Amino acid sequence: MTGISALKINDLHKSFGQHEVIKGVSMEANKGDVIAILGASGSGKSTFLRCINLLETPNSGDVFLAGEKIEMKQNRHGETVPANIRQVERMRARLAMVFQGFNLWSHMTVMENVLEGPVHVQKTPRAEAREKAEALLAKVGLSDRADYYPAHLSGGQQQRVAIARALAMDPDVMLFDEPTSALDPELVGEVLSVMRDLAEEGRTMLVVTHEMSFARDVSSKTVFLHKGEVCEEGPPAKLFSNPETEQFRAFLSRMN
Amino acid sequence: MDLILEYRSQLVAGTIMTIQLALVSLVIALVFGLLGAWAKLSESRLAQRAAGAYTTIVRGVPDLVLILLVFFGGQVTINAIGQATGLWDYVEISKFVAGASTIGVIFGAYFTETFRGAIMAIPRGQIEAGISCGMPRQLIFRHIIWPQMVRYALPGFTNNWLVQLKTTALVSVIGLQDLVYNAFTAGRSTGQLFTFMAAAFVIYLVLTGISDLALRALDRRFSRGVVRS
Repeated sequence: MTGISALKINDLHKSFGQHEVIKGVSMEANKGDVIAILGASGSGKSTFLRCINLLETPNSGDVFLAGEKIEMKQNRHGETVPANIRQVERMRARLAMVFQGFNLWSHMTVMENVLEGPVHVQKTPRAEAREKAEALLAKVGLSDRADYYPAHLSGGQQQRVAIARALAMDPDVMLFDEPTSALDPELVGEVLSVMRDLAEEGRTMLVVTHEMSFARDVSSKTVFLHKGEVCEEGPPAKLFSNPETEQFRAFLSRMN
Repeated sequence: MDLILEYRSQLVAGTIMTIQLALVSLVIALVFGLLGAWAKLSESRLAQRAAGAYTTIVRGVPDLVLILLVFFGGQVTINAIGQATGLWDYVEISKFVAGASTIGVIFGAYFTETFRGAIMAIPRGQIEAGISCGMPRQLIFRHIIWPQMVRYALPGFTNNWLVQLKTTALVSVIGLQDLVYNAFTAGRSTGQLFTFMAAAFVIYLVLTGISDLALRALDRRFSRGVVRS
């Protein structure tokens, strides 16, 4: 199946000091793809995700969003930095991120959290943004919590608000960084079910996760990272029933 | 009591001087404090070192020494420079400028630490959330950092401000006619030092009391979304 490229990452490298965490990872997501990224802790999966929207600056490699390349350059210390911060900001607005720790703005209500990006970054008229925000909160099942502050919500509710906040930007691609890892087990389901709905709608998603069932049942492609490299990748049905590498087999048996 | 009424214009003038000094030096201290905090948290080594030297020196020397040093030493230095370069003749630093700027610079060092701590108290993830939805830096500062920084800084701010208000009393040593200076002068000339010091005591308490009320209102305003135990 060939589709329209939504996001393409080419030979990405990232080191922290002497330690190379990402050793040349490439990945491509077509529109509507859900890519599950698996790996043991320390495999570099979160760092990889954070390099895509430049929360971490990769040492080398290219990121293309809908064919547009994020331009990088070398500064006078020889470090790789964004060539044009405006371009990066524009790209980030199209690459919404959902974090492990929710990261809602604690001094804003749920509604204000969802409105912030559309109103202040995308300059959407407030009334229009509000209407959309109400629909999104309904979608994640939190219409009745619009005027609450994050501190008054459970972890699962906060993560659903974070998803609504990400959706409010109308992103081309959504990046999920272990969205259920900080949740109590009984709250994981409500967040996963919202993510399943998004996948069914045809949202393009990159999901770093430890939820094997989500990867197996929802993803269109699963990628297993090991020590900063793609170790195994393919359709989940094939990967999970017939793992080819020793590393992935060992990982699966640890997870089950 | 009659005595105080007789000297009320001196007491009022002194109080106004004290308030002016406190407010002007507060503005200077806030500017230095924000710059200092920014420098300490910046990635530039040079800025970090400069701010480090500033807070170490200022916090390590008695306020009185610095005030006298700036007022007398500053005067001599400026005139020595003027004479050597021929750019200006004799310049006299006003007592108010010397007093307010010295106190401002001193308390800027304390505010540097207050603001630095307040910025660091904001969870890093909230800033990353701003970055990752494409917010430019100044928007992140105005909408995410500033409102939360104010809340985290308020307890330290209140402390600094009250100490600063009281520290303005030190300027009476350079002859600036603040509340202490005028009360002391009136007390000595009437032989009723106790009465006038008691008056100063009450006036300072009223000023700090008003500050306390105002700051509590600010605290309520900036504590949105905070769960109180």
